[in-house]
Amino acid sequence: MPRTKTIRQEPEEKTENPYLPRPTKITMVRRESTDCFLIRTDLKSKYEPGQFFQVSIPGIGEAPISVASYSQDFLDLNVREVGNVTKHLAKLKRGDTLFIRGPYGKGYPMEKLFGKSIVLIGGGSGVAPLKGILTYVDKHKDSFGDVMIYFGFRTPDDILFKEEMKQWRRKYQLNISVDKNPKKARISCDVCFITNLVEKAKMNPENKVVFICGPPVMMKITIELLKNKGFKEEQIYISTERLMKCALGVCGHCMIHGKYTCLDGPVFRYDEISQDRND
Amino acid sequence: MLKINKLSFNDFLTDIMRYNELVAPVKTDESRFEVIKDISRIQMDLHTYFPAKKFFFKKQQTLYAAENNRFTVPEMVTDKKQRVMIGLKRCDLNSIKRQDMMFMKETTDPYYAEERERTILIGHHCNQPFDDYCFCSSMDLGDFYDLMLYDKDDAYLVEIGSEKGRNFVDRYRKYFWDTDLFLRAEDRRIETKLQLNKRDISPYYYSPDWKKGVDICFSCAACVTLCPSCYCFDLHEEIDAKLCKSEMKRNWDSCQLHCFTKVAGGHIFRETREDRFKHRIYHQIQYFKDRHGMSLCTGCGRCIRGCPTRINFIQILNEMKEQT
Repeated sequence: MPRTKTIRQEPEEKTENPYLPRPTKITMVRRESTDCFLIRTDLKSKYEPGQFFQVSIPGIGEAPISVASYSQDFLDLNVREVGNVTKHLAKLKRGDTLFIRGPYGKGYPMEKLFGKSIVLIGGGSGVAPLKGILTYVDKHKDSFGDVMIYFGFRTPDDILFKEEMKQWRRKYQLNISVDKNPKKARISCDVCFITNLVEKAKMNPENKVVFICGPPVMMKITIELLKNKGFKEEQIYISTERLMKCALGVCGHCMIHGKYTCLDGPVFRYDEISQDRND
Repeated sequence: MLKINKLSFNDFLTDIMRYNELVAPVKTDESRFEVIKDISRIQMDLHTYFPAKKFFFKKQQTLYAAENNRFTVPEMVTDKKQRVMIGLKRCDLNSIKRQDMMFMKETTDPYYAEERERTILIGHHCNQPFDDYCFCSSMDLGDFYDLMLYDKDDAYLVEIGSEKGRNFVDRYRKYFWDTDLFLRAEDRRIETKLQLNKRDISPYYYSPDWKKGVDICFSCAACVTLCPSCYCFDLHEEIDAKLCKSEMKRNWDSCQLHCFTKVAGGHIFRETREDRFKHRIYHQIQYFKDRHGMSLCTGCGRCIRGCPTRINFIQILNEMKEQT
């Protein structure tokens, strides 16, 4: 074999470390309910409703949080205090630094849905990603038809985004329910499951898309109800919940039957995963 | 064709050791790949019990340290010695290819890439399957190596598989001799006794035959730990005793463990052992293939060999009948 001259390859330019979070400033913290709060940071980058960020507190850990806004000037994250990281997030105040990396995942494909009427069905903190859609619709008013909203919460104290609700009530067809009303508070919403409201609603499936986000049981029942009303699986978009660890499509924690929630989701068109067993 | 005479093979290894880190299969309590200090311990034809993945995808890796909201990435030393890995079997090499796809294709993992780039992979062809648990000949393995050695009587025939391998041969040219010998197709082939006889396992998801494996599975995760391809990991933060400095650590993790799919609030998506058992096998044989065009499993048989109850999932799959 002839001797070949050794070719030294120039080392490739160092790419950014995908695990390193970047700092953002918290510009606002708003308590939404007993266990939910909204954090606004000054992140100036592009993201879509439905995507998520990995939010971290050094020394505590990382947690995936979905975006609850649509803007290039700030980022809203709606956090529910359920775990270690989220409980510590609750202690942060305006002016503190929040470490995030992202955005990750596929958001709602809003641009593809121009011209359609929109139905939003959310349960509990699942309302947060849908808030991003409403902001998007606000900014592209002429591109969408009617907007129907069905939001369900556990108790009147758990109702999120009370500020925004006032606007939504004026602009859209807003339906809110609470599962129960233990304090017998005066409320202007139904006391039933949100699925009961959806069941009763008169909906013509034509030219509509439905976005569902909420607890697994609620999503399952809602999808059945919608199918009974004549909706096709292609008209339904759901947002799935998994604990993403790396968010880069490697670590395997968010895998649903060969699909990575962090790459292929968290938003799925229902027909893409309806065949997959729920595990 | 090039060859290395077996008589000068030890000199060759000693020469490599002088300026490089040499990693090769050795017999310890079990058999494993180790950094070599004494070349007499090397057993080239050993199919190690433990895989070689720990050299690239480490059991534990500190991704970054944080102190006072300042992040530092542990020093990635640039003048580390080149590493020469020798004695990798075709299944090991193909597993490294699969891990490369996960860690270096879509997003480059700098920790993995650094280790990978400084390594030269020298394979060793098995003339015979190591034992009855090997099933690599049914897994469509490809050629992936820098150099491949074929054991032929008193010499190793050498095949060059990459530019990196060619440069390596140039550097150690005095040990490589031209030869008239050549490799026939059957020299490259290997026939294992155990064979996966199904191309597509998707119709068998609800088969009652899974019980044969699930009922004797402990969910101990030995299969995943011993798998040379399995790449799932966990990220967690560790904080020092003074609560000042924290480190983000990456550890091997296993889909066989109960808490693997736990989300905030306590819900576990793969709650039953059956779900977890099937998830591993479907990921190995089907999901990865759907996504990347090749199965994650490379047929090394380590998961069966190392299983406390010797669950032979290939046999279970072979015996399965389609459910209607």
